[in-house]
Amino acid sequence: MLKNIYFKATLLSIVLLFISCEKSDTPAVENEMEVFTNATIVVTNLADNSSNTYVFEVEGHDHGHDHSVQPQNQGDDDHADHTEIELAANSEYEFAITFQNNSDASNPIDMTAEVIEEADDHHVFYEFAASSSLSYESTTGDTLDSNGNPLNLVTKWTTTTGAVIDVAAYLFHIPTSKVGTTRTDFGGAVDVEIDFEAHIE
Amino acid sequence: MIFIALLTKCNCIPFINTKKALVTIHLVTSSFIFCQECNLKIKGYIIDSNSNSVLKGAVIQIVGKEVNTISNDDGSFLLENLCVSDNELKISHINCDQLIKKIDFSESLNVIIIMNHKVEALDEVIISQRKIISSSTAKIFSLSEIEKDRYSNSGLSGAISQISGVTTLSTGGNISQPVIHGMFGSRVGIIYDGILLENQQWGQDHAPNVDVNAFENIRLIKGSGALRYSGSSPGGVIILESSLPKKIDSLYGKTLINGASNGLGGSLTSSWIKSYENGKYLKAQGTFKTSGDLNTPQYVLSNTGHNEKNLSLSFGSNTDSNNWKLYFSYFNTEIGILKSSHIGNVGDLLIAIENKNPAVIDPFSYDINYPKQSNTHYTTSIDFSKYYDLNNKLSFKYSWQKNNRKEFDIRIGSVKNTAALNLNLDTHNLNTNYEWKNSFARFNSGLFFQIQNNYSTPGTGVKRLIPDYLKTKFGSYITGKIDDNYINFGFGVRYEYNSNDVHKYYRNTRWDAKNYEEILGPYVVDEILSQKLIKKVFVFNTLSINTGVLYKLSENKDLNIQYNYIERAPDIAEMFSDGLHHALASFEYGDPFLKKEKTHKVIINFDKKNGVFKYNLSPFITFGKNYIVIEPSGFEQTIRGAFPVWEFSPYNVFFKGLDLDFSYNFNDYIKFKHNSSYVNGINVDNNEALVGIPPLILNNQLSFYFSNLKKVLISLFSKNVFHQKLFPNNNTVTSIFENGLRVDKIVDVSTPPKGYNDLGVNFSFGPYKMSSFKMNVSLVFDNVLNNNYRNYLNRLRFYSDELGRNVLLQIKINH
Repeated sequence: MLKNIYFKATLLSIVLLFISCEKSDTPAVENEMEVFTNATIVVTNLADNSSNTYVFEVEGHDHGHDHSVQPQNQGDDDHADHTEIELAANSEYEFAITFQNNSDASNPIDMTAEVIEEADDHHVFYEFAASSSLSYESTTGDTLDSNGNPLNLVTKWTTTTGAVIDVAAYLFHIPTSKVGTTRTDFGGAVDVEIDFEAHIE
Repeated sequence: MIFIALLTKCNCIPFINTKKALVTIHLVTSSFIFCQECNLKIKGYIIDSNSNSVLKGAVIQIVGKEVNTISNDDGSFLLENLCVSDNELKISHINCDQLIKKIDFSESLNVIIIMNHKVEALDEVIISQRKIISSSTAKIFSLSEIEKDRYSNSGLSGAISQISGVTTLSTGGNISQPVIHGMFGSRVGIIYDGILLENQQWGQDHAPNVDVNAFENIRLIKGSGALRYSGSSPGGVIILESSLPKKIDSLYGKTLINGASNGLGGSLTSSWIKSYENGKYLKAQGTFKTSGDLNTPQYVLSNTGHNEKNLSLSFGSNTDSNNWKLYFSYFNTEIGILKSSHIGNVGDLLIAIENKNPAVIDPFSYDINYPKQSNTHYTTSIDFSKYYDLNNKLSFKYSWQKNNRKEFDIRIGSVKNTAALNLNLDTHNLNTNYEWKNSFARFNSGLFFQIQNNYSTPGTGVKRLIPDYLKTKFGSYITGKIDDNYINFGFGVRYEYNSNDVHKYYRNTRWDAKNYEEILGPYVVDEILSQKLIKKVFVFNTLSINTGVLYKLSENKDLNIQYNYIERAPDIAEMFSDGLHHALASFEYGDPFLKKEKTHKVIINFDKKNGVFKYNLSPFITFGKNYIVIEPSGFEQTIRGAFPVWEFSPYNVFFKGLDLDFSYNFNDYIKFKHNSSYVNGINVDNNEALVGIPPLILNNQLSFYFSNLKKVLISLFSKNVFHQKLFPNNNTVTSIFENGLRVDKIVDVSTPPKGYNDLGVNFSFGPYKMSSFKMNVSLVFDNVLNNNYRNYLNRLRFYSDELGRNVLLQIKINH
């Protein structure tokens, strides 16, 4: 009896052990849905309606830095650092910022539409050193959230004297406040952070 | 040779059953017990059924003889030189009715005798033969019922961390997993009713998907002491077991009701057992838990509510010739994650660290919004064991675990309500075990087979964190323990073949950066959306060994030395992780070329088990080769800024540590208990400390028992957690605007928080007899001084303080 059962059990186990198990179904590729791959700023000179388009595009790639700490904005290949937006002194410009998800090139997703759809949960903020040379405010064509706060998707920039100013542009998701003068005033999570230099000449 | 010598000494002819002729070893070990005359032993424990604690001072006597003994402080007793005819035990205790019980006694036995106090319903004393001795000499730590029930509202990790050497790695107030001797996750095995829990334990923010209330016994072996179940747990194994039902016609059970002030939550857990004299039984157990937002002394932790629904059913039979059991369990939990811990980039993390308080503090609520986790774990198992005679047992066990894990983030657009992670893990296990034993030795050997399928539900809109894979595992083990009066010897060997058929998408950018083409190029089966799909089988053969010696230095002092050699195949997560960790604003990547991890561990226990002063001093060392550690390796630029990249890498590591337990009974009413744990872990290759090693922890407990005052027990707890000063520098730097200027700031994710002292008080009343049931009431105050502190082993320590005061009211009814 024992021999019989033990034998069968051993046999069954051995048979099971050598069944080759193979994963047959190929997993579908995951199309990344909420990734921002590009931010685009169209700068229009309100005096003559001439415009320039600046595309901020960062593909994920490895910098190959070693273990040591590395400042975020000092790498050679931080594309965003080197974008310069040329502005004339004593002028007014319209900055229209839009966001795209181009992870599937054949099916680009306009993320600006999703930002507008969830206007209450989003806010754009441009941060730069306080300067009399440069200021901005929401303007015609901007989107307002349900509380009447502008999203700053379309802004009017006013320049005075010449200067070179570092600017960071943020898209906040679920900010704790939509009013503020520094990044910390807004809370929330940064969905997009791009940097450029405003060259006012 | 030993067997032959004994046979000769026995001077009788071995009984040879021809049916066993092929199983030579079994034959030898089983045959000579028939030769024994009066050299049998009964070892056991006396348990007080009211408190489920051990009962000292009970007199255990053989009826008709002058052989007797008194149970020790730990409830244990040993009667030796018994004959087969000595089958009537008389057990008496000053507080209990004297009892005479016949036992089925033709071999040396391990028994647990459960006694009821006189003041309680005078139920029959039950003798259950139970395997309280494992096939290993490793020291087993266990929790008393009081210790276990104290954590019925919170969970396994909290309960088990009452044992020295065990801490928890948590993610906020609701998610925690045990850390044993500085190791966690896949290096700690959790075995429930003989099944190794497979619940995606690779993640640091994954809590065990098991209901601690479904099990009566919780034990812990530090180190790899259970090779029958797990060969890849150098940290330790946690064993959850249901007790055997009574063999009488009865309906009984236990219900616990908890109410907690912190989170305004509570739980109800109830278990019911219908038992029959013929050994059949039905058991049903369920738990409901709910809690709203938890709070620190100063503020509400928004979105930290928690719901849990668990159910387990078993139906089985225990007779002298066989045991069988059908088991089903369902575990479901929904856990809110602190809203403020969802951040966008390193700059946000810096702000969170500098702000100290969470960015979002909403009014208290029971709502669970995003981010949250939702986990479901089903288990179905079938057990069958047959005793061929009293010493030979063959067991089969099949189990199917179905685990689903969903993680929801704060998202936008069309995927707003779609889980960012939706993983299904199906694990089928088939185990066979053959056990043979005699009065001084016990051996187990068996075969096991596992198929595990991991399937990531598509359509999450996020790249798979863990790739789809099919794991096939099989192997064999043998464990044994030889008992002698002064020395016990234990050993175990386990071999595993481990094959992982993996489908993994790599982004072309990473593929190129890591130069994967060279080795993985031939395995590319598809290329789509700038990603390559590879299909490759990764195979590991692992061998794990443990040996141990237990010297009995004197009547109540033992010296126990264990050596474990563990080979662990890398986790799928360690090889293929690929994703963004929101709370830490970092990318995590696996390394597909990791080799198996090899760990040597030596644990020593100096144990004094009885007397007014008891102690266990346990130093240990561990050396790990190819020990897999996650650490920062660079940066990755995204449109949200640069993110630190963390990668799994193999290193040589060394751990050393010391666990100390002692207790002193001033008298019958006042008792002091202490345990402390120290562990130090370093990366030998770069001579840096390992990340996430628990600091020195001291636990002290002073208990006062007022037996004449309506059975009141008051315990004062103090937990001293020291400042961990050994840690690696994993800081990162980010550039922010400060006072209108761009400046670089260090984001300090490395420095552990300061030490703290947490005080607690526990008032227990009872048990009181109320008609047909008994009731206990306890009131537990945690963090009674409502202190603010942070815990190094909480992954959300950057965002908030630990929980403030909690008052837990617990009503326990034994029915």
